[in-house]
This record gives sequence, structure tokens and C-alpha cells, in this order.
Amino acid sequence: MNKKSSKKSSSNENYSHLELFNLGKIFFKEKKFIDFRSKGNRSGFEAIKDINLKIEKNTFVSIIGPSGCGKSTLLNLIAGLQAPTSGKIVIDGQAIKGPGPDRGVIFQNYALMPWLTTIQNIEFALNTVFPAKTKADVKERARKYLRMVGLEKASNKFPKELSGGMKQRVAIARALSINPNMLLMDEPFGALDALTRSYLQDELLSIWRKNKVTVVLITHSIEEALLLSDKIVLMSSGPSAIISEEISVDLERPRDREKIEQDPKYLKIKMRLEKHLLRETRAVEEVT
Amino acid sequence: MNKAISTRLTFAVAILSLLIFIILWQVIAQQGLLVKNFPGSFKTIGSLIWWVSDPFFDNGPNDLGIGTNLLISLRRVLIGYSLAVLVAVPLGVLMGMSKLAQSSLNPYVQLLKPVSPLAWLPVGLFVFRNSEITGIFVIFITSIWPTLINTAFGVASINPDYLRVSKSLGASKSTTIRRVILPAIMPNILAGMRISMGTAWLVIVAAEMLLGTGIGYFIWNEWNNLSLENIFVAIIIIGFTGFILDQFFGFLQDKFDYSI
Repeated sequence: MNKKSSKKSSSNENYSHLELFNLGKIFFKEKKFIDFRSKGNRSGFEAIKDINLKIEKNTFVSIIGPSGCGKSTLLNLIAGLQAPTSGKIVIDGQAIKGPGPDRGVIFQNYALMPWLTTIQNIEFALNTVFPAKTKADVKERARKYLRMVGLEKASNKFPKELSGGMKQRVAIARALSINPNMLLMDEPFGALDALTRSYLQDELLSIWRKNKVTVVLITHSIEEALLLSDKIVLMSSGPSAIISEEISVDLERPRDREKIEQDPKYLKIKMRLEKHLLRETRAVEEVT
Repeated sequence: MNKAISTRLTFAVAILSLLIFIILWQVIAQQGLLVKNFPGSFKTIGSLIWWVSDPFFDNGPNDLGIGTNLLISLRRVLIGYSLAVLVAVPLGVLMGMSKLAQSSLNPYVQLLKPVSPLAWLPVGLFVFRNSEITGIFVIFITSIWPTLINTAFGVASINPDYLRVSKSLGASKSTTIRRVILPAIMPNILAGMRISMGTAWLVIVAAEMLLGTGIGYFIWNEWNNLSLENIFVAIIIIGFTGFILDQFFGFLQDKFDYSI
């Protein structure tokens, strides 16, 4: 609904597409029955704090940080799957209140429903988001997006019959089918082997070029972030993770995965990222 | 080993063991090794053939064909069981989804689950004053717990990814329940239903001894006639029917096993 208005709004307005203001998330321990009478003592685990970030429309942004730093928490907050403890998330000038079809989410474990075929998985998303659409419309649209990820032939297969890479392509098709402005990806290629991962990265880039969407990608792979992103956001080690740095990746597009590695600019950023990640990972490992 | 040969071998072994069993039974009974007048396997098989060749006669409540009695029992089980499933699944979903429902209902479930359903028989008779409804009621109580507990467990342990997908699409609670939770927990529901059916089939025999008519009453009646071979016939029929019912649920479970 507010999607239309946001699409109309031009880019020269004085806010960015996605803005995070002083965002923080604390996970409180569940209160036990016996604790009901004791007041206060609301100690919890602070995953992230004071996150401020601006993301421009149709850019590709990667968030990278050591494991356990709250990257996924940050993504869940943007997706509206969890509510922040403090701060706010603003999309096109409007604070979000929960999840919405303007944001398509892609999970690491694909999250396809095993009782539905490939095409039914996409139809489920379409039926949920566009209840007014006719059956034929939904089918047609689901087919179109399956075709986009090259899986039209697998439309009547069940997820268990697909490889990991195919499953993630279906998940990408599902997320894009609802025509979101933003694609939120939580380590989408983390569970795939290296070759499949490269293939899907290229696939994602070409999809991103064709469907103008803003992508927020959580990853722990420096190479992946460098190959795909316009901007890389570095997070410190948790708990109470903050954004330690934002690096813009001004490498020319389209990027070729072999050539890019010779680029001195690429190497410079890569070294910087490696240093940061190593430092933060050391902080994680040596605390415990 | 070749699969076809192995299947045939298994079959042959089963037949052989059955033959040995029948012969042993006959010898032991004939020699009076157990007790005097214990019916042998030949006599029992003869009775079985007699009962099965005309299963649906009706000469009054104390002289019904074994098929008629079986159908009476099956009817009671199916009605009581279906009602139980209709209550247990929604209640289980509620208990799995809501902490409040879980903590307010769980004590009753835990307290009542271990009680033999037969304890409810006098309660049923007192309230309904009708043996037919009481039988159904006892089966209802019997069948409700396994399905309820399995359903609640299924909801509580559902893969959170499915729920997150549903939530991220902005699905309503009812859509999430109908299109995500229910299909996701189908294997749990069916596992519960299978256990419920098994228990219901166990309990109906005992309940009917006290209620009149049905396969359980048939056994009681033949005990009064001191016709042990007819009791063995009933045991064979009950076992066979239970096996078929269980296989049916096994088949359904395979259909809804998403992992294969």
C-alpha cells in the first residue's frame, strides 16, 4: 500500500531510503514464574547498540562482522521480525512498525515449506501479499519469477528434490515475486559449496541489475562483500556490537570476479577488512 | 542378497513359523499339557472359519455375528475418536502457540493422561444413562491425550524459519495457522492420531465387556458360554483389525513425511 507512494517519491528528498537511528536490541531473559515478585533486575543480553546507518535506494550494502556480532539481529530488526529495544527504523521517511511486503527476506536455510512444491512456495507468498489477485494471475507471476532464476522446469518439484543452490534460487524468486523495494539477505550463500556460491553471486548481481531493489546482505565473506557491494558496513564484535566503519566500494561495475582481484583498490579494501575482522574475531575468541 | 529372494525367504519363514505354532498348539492342547479341555488350534481354526463364513447374522444382542459385533465396536471407536481429534488438534495448536493456554491446560493433561480411561465409564453411565454414548465417551477420553500432546509438541517445536517467512510476508494469524502451522505439524498430528487409535482399539474391548454388544462383549459372552475357542477367534479378529488400522496410519504418515 505505502509501496506506491514510496515509489513515486523521488530520490532528491532529504532522507535516505533506509535509515537507522540509534538502534539497539537487548534480549531479556524470560521471566520465570518465581521471578514475578522480584522487581527490577531486568538484565539482558545487549546484542547491538547505537546503530546509525543510512542506505540509499537501489544500492547494494553488505554488513560484515565476526560471528555472533548481531548481524542477523540487525537484519531481523530491519525486516520487522523483531522489535528494537531502542531507536527506530525509517523507510522512505516513515518509521516501520513491523514486517511488510516492501521488504523481501531471504534466510540462510532457504526456509522453503517442504509440503509445497517450488511454484506453490512462491504462490504462497503471492497469495499472502496480494489476496485480491486471481489464481491465474498468481500462477503466471510465480512462473515468471521461477523463470527468472532459471528453475521453470522444477516448478512441480518439492524442495527435498532440489540442491541447496536451487533451493536458495527459489527463495530468491519468492522474495522478489512480491515486488519488494528491499531485499534483506541473511548469509544466503553460507551453506553452499564454493562453486555454487560463486554461481549464485553472479546470478544475484544480474537479478539486482534487472530488478531495481535495495539489497542488504549479511555475510562473513570479505570476497563476497567486495564483489557485490556498493558499501560495506563493518560491525564490531558483540555483545553490544556497534558499527565500527562504513567503507564504500567504488569499484567499477559490472565486476568480473577474476579481474577484480588484480585491482589495487580492491586489494586495499580487502586488507583493511581483513585487519578489522581479524582484530574483532580475536576480541571474541580471547574473551571466552 | 537379491531383494526378491530375500522377500520370498522372509515370507517362507513366516509361514513356517505359523505352521510350527499351530502344530505345537494343537499338540499341547490335545495332550492336556496346559489345562484340561483347552481348545486346540484345529478347533479354533474351525470356529474361525464358521464365524467368518457368516459374519453378519443377528439373533438378538447375545447372539450377533462377529462381523456385526466388529462393526459396532468400530463405529464406537470411529465416532469417539473423530470427536477427540476434532477437539485435540485445535486445543493442541492453542497450547503450542500460547503460553497462557499451555500453563493453564497442561496440569489437567498431565493429571488425566495417566488415568485408565475405564475409570470414566461409571461417570459416563451416570451422566449419559446410555451405554452406547458412554462407550463413545470413553473412547473420546482415551483418544484425546496422545493427539493433543503430539499436536502441542509439534507446534512448539516447529521450524522457526517457516514462521519467520510467514511473518515477513505480513501473513495474518489465521493464514499462518492454516497455511503454515497445520501443514508443518501434520507429521506430529498423524503420529499422535496413530497412538490414539491404537489405544482406543485397546480400550474398546475392555469397555465393551461392561457395556454390552461389540467385540469386547462378544468375548465376555463367550466366556460365559465357556467357549474359549470363540474367544481366540475374537482375539485373532481384534488383532487383525488393529493391525489394519495401524497400517492405515503408517501409510498416512509416509505420505506426510516431508523429509523423504
